[in-house]
Amino acid sequence: MENKAYIRGQKELREEVHDTGLCTGCGACVNLCPYYATSRDKTVVKDLCDRTAGRCYAFCPRTPTDLEAIRQQLFEPQDLTPELGAVKGFYLTRASDPDTRSLAQHGGTVTTLMSLALSEGIIDTALLAEGGGSDLPSGVAVSQASEVSKLAKSKFIAAPMVEAFNKAVLSDAQKIGVVATPCQTLALAKMKMKPFPKNDSQIGKLRLTIGLFCGWVLSWRSFKQLLDQKIDQRKIVSLDIPPSKYKTMQVETNSGLVEIPLDEVEACVREACKFCTDVTAEFSDISVGSARLPDGWEVAKGWNQVIVRTTAGEALMQLAKDRRVLEFREVPGGNLDKLKQASLKKKRTALDNLACKSGDRDDLLYLDCRDPVFQTFDW
Amino acid sequence: MADISNKTEGLADLLLGSEAIGRGALEGGVNVVASYPGNPSTEITEAIRQVAEKMNIYVEWSVNEKVAVETAAAASFAGLRGLSAMKQNGLNVALDFVSGISTSGSNGGLVLVVCDDPSGITSTSEQDSRPLARSLDFPLLEPGTFQEAKDMTRFGLELSEKIGRMVLFRSATRLQHARGRTLLGSLPEEKRKAHFDTSKQYVAFPSLPRHVEAKERMAQAKELCKDSAFNVYEGPENPDLLIITCGSCYLYALDAMNLLGLWDRVGILKIGTVWPLPDDLIKTHMAKNSRILVLEEVEPFLEGNLKELAVEWAADVSMPTFFGRRTGPLSDTGELNPDIIITALTEILELTYEARPPAYDQQAKAMVEKLVPPRSLALCAGCPHRASYWAIKNAEVLDTRDGFVTGDIGCYSFGLFPSGYSIMKTEQAMGSGPGVGYGFGKLGQFDMQQPVVAVVGDGTFYHGALPALVSAVNNQSNLTLVVLDNGATAMTGFQPHPGTGLDAFGHPAKPVLIEDICKSLGVRVEIIDPYDSEAATQKVLDFMNDEQQGPRVLIMRQQCALQMARSGKLYDVWVDQEKCVGEDCGCNRYCSRAFKCPGIMWDAQAQKARIDEAICVGCGVCAQVCRHEAILLKPLKAVQGKDS
Repeated sequence: MENKAYIRGQKELREEVHDTGLCTGCGACVNLCPYYATSRDKTVVKDLCDRTAGRCYAFCPRTPTDLEAIRQQLFEPQDLTPELGAVKGFYLTRASDPDTRSLAQHGGTVTTLMSLALSEGIIDTALLAEGGGSDLPSGVAVSQASEVSKLAKSKFIAAPMVEAFNKAVLSDAQKIGVVATPCQTLALAKMKMKPFPKNDSQIGKLRLTIGLFCGWVLSWRSFKQLLDQKIDQRKIVSLDIPPSKYKTMQVETNSGLVEIPLDEVEACVREACKFCTDVTAEFSDISVGSARLPDGWEVAKGWNQVIVRTTAGEALMQLAKDRRVLEFREVPGGNLDKLKQASLKKKRTALDNLACKSGDRDDLLYLDCRDPVFQTFDW
Repeated sequence: MADISNKTEGLADLLLGSEAIGRGALEGGVNVVASYPGNPSTEITEAIRQVAEKMNIYVEWSVNEKVAVETAAAASFAGLRGLSAMKQNGLNVALDFVSGISTSGSNGGLVLVVCDDPSGITSTSEQDSRPLARSLDFPLLEPGTFQEAKDMTRFGLELSEKIGRMVLFRSATRLQHARGRTLLGSLPEEKRKAHFDTSKQYVAFPSLPRHVEAKERMAQAKELCKDSAFNVYEGPENPDLLIITCGSCYLYALDAMNLLGLWDRVGILKIGTVWPLPDDLIKTHMAKNSRILVLEEVEPFLEGNLKELAVEWAADVSMPTFFGRRTGPLSDTGELNPDIIITALTEILELTYEARPPAYDQQAKAMVEKLVPPRSLALCAGCPHRASYWAIKNAEVLDTRDGFVTGDIGCYSFGLFPSGYSIMKTEQAMGSGPGVGYGFGKLGQFDMQQPVVAVVGDGTFYHGALPALVSAVNNQSNLTLVVLDNGATAMTGFQPHPGTGLDAFGHPAKPVLIEDICKSLGVRVEIIDPYDSEAATQKVLDFMNDEQQGPRVLIMRQQCALQMARSGKLYDVWVDQEKCVGEDCGCNRYCSRAFKCPGIMWDAQAQKARIDEAICVGCGVCAQVCRHEAILLKPLKAVQGKDS
């Protein structure tokens, strides 16, 4: 069989990704050249390019990808788990600073780690998502630690962070940190494989990837239409989805809490998310999500679950501990297993969906059915 | 163009067919000429315009063809002689009035010259206008030579005046644009004054008695044309084959006859008064011939009518075998030429003559391909329409709702082609961009989600877009109308239009501004320079997403690049080849391949882009298109984005 990680051009990217509902809108193909743009939550082709091999195709997280080769290159073999990728450490944390916590979606861990990386000079530029909800989010570059906490809410609509990265590498930024969704961390990981040795898009400037746990994101246009029916959007303060047993999306507004049934929200999920096998952003240095605690949601939502995956991630966590900017609490027994089960569930669903889409269990479109991880569970 | 006002009678001049018609109009004492430009008709009015002031002739480029014929008709009603010239598409615009005057009748000599375009070389159709003469009862003249073009125009004015009916005069591309020997006639001394006889009415109602009268006038015309010198037979007394032809096919037939040496076997009956047909003359010749080949452009109008006559005469004339566009061997579409006629003649007469060696076309094509680089139909270097389409294309892509453009006729029709990024998806008639766009804008109740941008040129805005815009206001259609305002009727040669502030002679006229019209309709109207690429894109996007009900009008105003080439470049433009990425991933010749301005070349040796200084007009848009800052600009004069 052909190696899965071949490179083609824009025509194939359009045919295999953009036109098939696989595009995640991550922006990996944007800002490399003038032919693509992100607009209104979509990656659009502005002009046709006739190159038979392009970075757009090579970096896209939905073109054929050899996940195992990436795991082998980026992580230490002993850390790898089939369910969650590399795990060097698993923690429950929150920001020590109550102000950071109050501005953040949950425990404020991402804000804290990014601020720390900036203030310690590990990175000079942090790429974060701005906007969200019914507004179109976008990636912004921040160079001051104090600016990070202003951008600390869950978006539910993915900002094209890889587009922001492609832009940032052209700027004066030398050491870049990115907060990204799983598909976006995969795009960045594909860049790290340097499939275009002559023109590697300066991936060496990427020093830190903080991945966000992600079950799915919403399609902006559908979600905006849903919100239009329910709420005066100018009043929205924040959005959150508590654990699945609540079956709602909670919208905090100036005039109180509005709950939207989760079924209605899930109808707005981006098509591409059905084909994603990664809930914990396996290709990052550190992955962060909301916590699950026996104490219930009201307590849990003040904390984060954190997976440290690389030595760079490990060093940053250690620094956070040493500087006391993060508080840690004991991880309850079973938490990691629960997360593994959640991760496997998403993998199974995605593989089923891919096989269904291709009509052949041996053809997983952008993934390789021979991937060793996919041999470890039934689907 | 030639000066057609020479007073020397009998002088042989080499005139374009269109100039010959103009000269014929002068010899026929024309007073008022009102036309709308359109290839291949434009030069008729241009030729007259050049001498009009000294000859006290009123010439205007009217707002559209209907107004043009109405203007010429008013002259006729006032006892003057009038002429109006237009292309076949234009006749359709004028048709409602033309139909009306067919029943109302006219007074002073009135000729409507319609120039058809076989093969549709510069048209959206190869419409044959002649059947209209039959359906609306107009005499129809069709010249076969340059001399006839002149003489028939004069005759048409005289005939019209005698029978009190407008006369149709049909020309076509080849005659219009070729030159031929023409003997000049005298120019009239008579100076007419305009006076309307109020004892008369020129009204189309009641229609039935008016129709009866029209038929009577046609009978009169038939009588007047029965011995016309425009209908000529040349050839042997009893030929093997009779060619019956009219219009420019006559000259092709002569070529074919000469090349094949057929003058002892084949005769040619050339008909100049094509409707009503000279029955007696035709009957005489039909009786002597068992085989008839009909040559005409484009529809089998003559052929069908001849067959009808043959059936009528079946009792006393044996039915000939017909050849032609309906029966074959000629195609029923496309322009004829001498080679096609030679091929038809050799087939019918079983001759061996090769008009061209069998492989001629392939050889010629192969030779041309070596000599000439392949080029597609393209907007000029620096054309503001390209900049506008670039902005509209980008806005539609960024909008993500699968938007498209409805358009119409003008240089901006190139929006159909890759040069205009193929964004124009409908194109039918002058003003149909706004009209069809208006219709799309009313489809919201059927869940139409795609945004529609209608484009229209400035000249066409006045010509045919106003009713659609008024309807869009009245019915609150969700329409984004972009006026591609280059300050000129550029495609036909820079004739003035109501917005230019000039009349046909270049004298000041009162300008009627598009923005003023839009303001008076209460619609949102803004003006933007398409050369300011990003701002233009954002403005189009903003207009497409305007949630206000009803239409909005964005005027993308920048003077025609041909004017710019005359008035001087805005910028010196060059490529810094050090910065140019060329074909590498990250560009892949974006400026020339995606933006497609012909002013940008590919320097094959350096493998980099280069500016073709000879044709670059210095608009500066490509510098905004290049993402690598490799295209550099130096301003050459005060940048006057919103002049014209």
